Amino acid sequence: MDKALAHAAKLGVRFAEVKGEDTLTWQIEAVNKEVRKVSSIRNIGIGVRVYREKGSGFSFSNVLDEESVFKTVETAFKIAKASSKRTLMSFKLAEVKPIEEKKRTSTEKHPREVSLDEKKDLCLRQCQAAMETSKQIANVTSMFGEYHGSIWYANSEGTKVSHEPLLIGLRNICVAKKGSVITDAWDSHGGSVGLGTFEEQSHTPEALAENAAKWAVEKLKAKPAPAGRFDAFIDPRLAGVLAHESFGHLSEGDFVVIGSSPLAGKINQMLGTETVTIVDEGTPKGRGYTMFFDDEGVPCERVEILKNGVLQRYLHSRTTAYALKMKPTGNARSQDYSFEPIVRMRNTFFESGDWKPEEALREIKHGIYAVSTAGGQVDGTGTFLFKAVRGYMVENGELKQPLRDVALTGNILQLLKNVDAVCNDLELSASPFGGCGKLDQRAFVGLGGPHLRVKDVLFGGAA
Amino acid sequence: MTDLLELGKKAAEVAQKLGADEAEVFLCTEKHVNIKFVGGIFASRSGAVKGLKGTFARIAEPWIKKKGVPFMNSGVRAGVGVRAIVDKAMGFASVSSLEEKKVIETVEEAVKIAKIRPPDPNWVALPEPEKPLSGGGVYDKRIADMSVEELLNISADCCIWGGDFDKRIVQTMSMVLAVSASFCTINTRGVEAYDEKTLFSVFMDFKAKRNDEEVSAGESVHSRRFIENLQPIVENTARKAIEGLGRKPLLEKYTGPVVFENTSWADLFSSIFPSGVSAFNVQENRSVYRGKMGQQVAGTEVTIVDDGTLPDGVDTAKVDDEGVPKQKTPILEKGVLQGFLYDNYSAKRENARSTGSASRQRAFGSATYANQPMIRPTNLTFASGKHTLRELISELGEGVLVKGFLIGSSHSNVVTGDFSVTAGTAFKIEKGDVAYPLKPCTVAGNLYESLNSVISVGNDLKYLQNVLCPSVIVDKIVVST
Repeated sequence: MDKALAHAAKLGVRFAEVKGEDTLTWQIEAVNKEVRKVSSIRNIGIGVRVYREKGSGFSFSNVLDEESVFKTVETAFKIAKASSKRTLMSFKLAEVKPIEEKKRTSTEKHPREVSLDEKKDLCLRQCQAAMETSKQIANVTSMFGEYHGSIWYANSEGTKVSHEPLLIGLRNICVAKKGSVITDAWDSHGGSVGLGTFEEQSHTPEALAENAAKWAVEKLKAKPAPAGRFDAFIDPRLAGVLAHESFGHLSEGDFVVIGSSPLAGKINQMLGTETVTIVDEGTPKGRGYTMFFDDEGVPCERVEILKNGVLQRYLHSRTTAYALKMKPTGNARSQDYSFEPIVRMRNTFFESGDWKPEEALREIKHGIYAVSTAGGQVDGTGTFLFKAVRGYMVENGELKQPLRDVALTGNILQLLKNVDAVCNDLELSASPFGGCGKLDQRAFVGLGGPHLRVKDVLFGGAA
Repeated sequence: MTDLLELGKKAAEVAQKLGADEAEVFLCTEKHVNIKFVGGIFASRSGAVKGLKGTFARIAEPWIKKKGVPFMNSGVRAGVGVRAIVDKAMGFASVSSLEEKKVIETVEEAVKIAKIRPPDPNWVALPEPEKPLSGGGVYDKRIADMSVEELLNISADCCIWGGDFDKRIVQTMSMVLAVSASFCTINTRGVEAYDEKTLFSVFMDFKAKRNDEEVSAGESVHSRRFIENLQPIVENTARKAIEGLGRKPLLEKYTGPVVFENTSWADLFSSIFPSGVSAFNVQENRSVYRGKMGQQVAGTEVTIVDDGTLPDGVDTAKVDDEGVPKQKTPILEKGVLQGFLYDNYSAKRENARSTGSASRQRAFGSATYANQPMIRPTNLTFASGKHTLRELISELGEGVLVKGFLIGSSHSNVVTGDFSVTAGTAFKIEKGDVAYPLKPCTVAGNLYESLNSVISVGNDLKYLQNVLCPSVIVDKIVVST
């Protein structure tokens, strides 16, 4: 990497950076007690970005002999040169203090030290437990996933950092069947931790499987959610999706710079109730996806995007920070060495409040408890449609009839003004399955929140 | 070439030493240059400048015709995918490296994975070596040697020509992709296959605006050879966007015959049909063609062939991604079902022969070594007829013409063939001529029924990725707004 930077300097650039990577992604999938899919993808390579005159250029290679690395630098240089002639914009970087730091991730039962058999057994144990829970369980899918390795970063300003990302997860999906009614439900657990986490009582493969099975069976007698406006009680997982999908993306610096985010120009404005604080950070206290540095070598700072309802900051790369004359936050991320970093979230969540969940629930006379999410849509203005996995009617502070087809619609900026209770049970989750997609790049993220109580939410009935 | 083969052989031997009954190693290197250019001056016509804030806005003015916003990426993806078989169970592992040590580690992973999987009763064996039927596809050195700057100029020119064509073009975007790749497949039964290819793709999207009305039109071209002059294609695309201005709503739901332009028909056909003729889907009871071999399943106008040996074909090669020779496979002959597409697994499962249809390609132009092979057509060709698009329109007389890309064709039900897509550029046909453009409308039907209701076939074959289709008139289509 030093040689690559030296080569770039020789060519004459104003800035150069190199990211090197050696990571491994594993997935095991078992369906009804049989191991169906196992995949192992090892990703090794480097990405080089150089800035020359007005342009910037990016190139990558996974052939790592000296000749190929030099060629990669030269390609990036040529791209920067070509780009400089054609570009309408000049890309500059906000200043950061050069750092040198190595972060190691040490944990007991790191996935690389655990045998494939033990991981496979986690899946098989889940299948077994789910099928034993009820005769109505027709199909069980269990997935184990892991991602870990090393990432190195160096730039021409003298920054040199390395870290060891880690993410594991176990997920169980149950399908229940009774007559012609088919329902499904899932539970999962994971984060930047070792496999010991699956020995904790509430996170054993059996516990997760029993939850998924129980919820799928319960949904067999669920009724479609009624349409109309209700007070909503929102569980931590759904809160996380609201924080990430509908709000977080609006705070991404690249959308703010081009003016397409409704949060542009609204710093210091009151956008939510005083109880609402939304944070994005790299090393959260609870479980999530731990990130020490971003892919521009900038330390991952804790960003309170919204504090007590007031918009404080945006999420930035060095480029967007420069454009808005703000400080970089460590939010520039690339899917892997073959992509240029762009502004991405890390762990995005509603910060804990004072309310005990049972007390917040007790005050709801007639409402809906919406749990988790089965996907949805958002647009660039904050308008969302989310399908909760399941739900319950709430009558006089008590959970009643189980519901299915629970769809919530609205605009996040309106919703934040209607949050009237934030509970004290913050939960974060991160999963190696999927992740967040933006401009053809995927990134692992953490998200979560405590239970939220929101007044006057529009439920759409069957969605 | 010899390096790749030697490394592959060594890796396969290691797999056997570790206890694999059989092993296969797929190695490739792919160089690609990817350019996207958003045209400059034309953005000011659309008022986009006003939306830009801060630094960008200051630098963005004055807009200069030859400038815009370039996005470029270029790099080399090399890697290895290993399949190891232990007691009829397969393990797959991949690595983005050709370094011997890393490749051997990947072989170890593949063997480990095979050992935790249950045996697959349908597994027979890896392919045996066979002599290729063709000399392979085109490798155009010009594409392989093309510089980033040349490609950026091509991409920018597309935007400039598009914007110059008509003042009503307010937004221009073009993408140019140049790929050169070499790949080889080695297995322990003696397969040693090597091939090379180049690919040149251009995609463009132009937006025309008049008053408050905006119409987008897109076009794509794919070729194994460099395309010298793109200007006619650019102008055609710009013309398509302009032609779409002045749209009127479809007053009432229309059910009946529709003319699909070649691109639209290819979009729909390629999203659904390959799934129906995949032998694996037939075996798993996920195809309407199961049990229909030799029967009349489509109109007599319909002849469909998959030809991996087609000279100049986008997906032509000596062998497929399991090292089996690519071939010409008749699928429908005048509407009679003649054959399905097989990879090694589905073929051996029913004692048939692979049709050389195994592919590791997923998204177009993406790295292949990280994927396991699955059944995919090579150059899937819907045989052309006699008529020009003009003649098809006049033959129809009254009805609807659908042009360009469709939105939502990839969400079609590939098992039943049901589709419901949005056509952004559709036209009303009256008195044998194009009368006026229609507001975006929903076009719905069932592809397998459509193949039974083909009235007439055009002579204007065109590639959409690796699928070649002409324009057609198809009956029993529902169009609504």
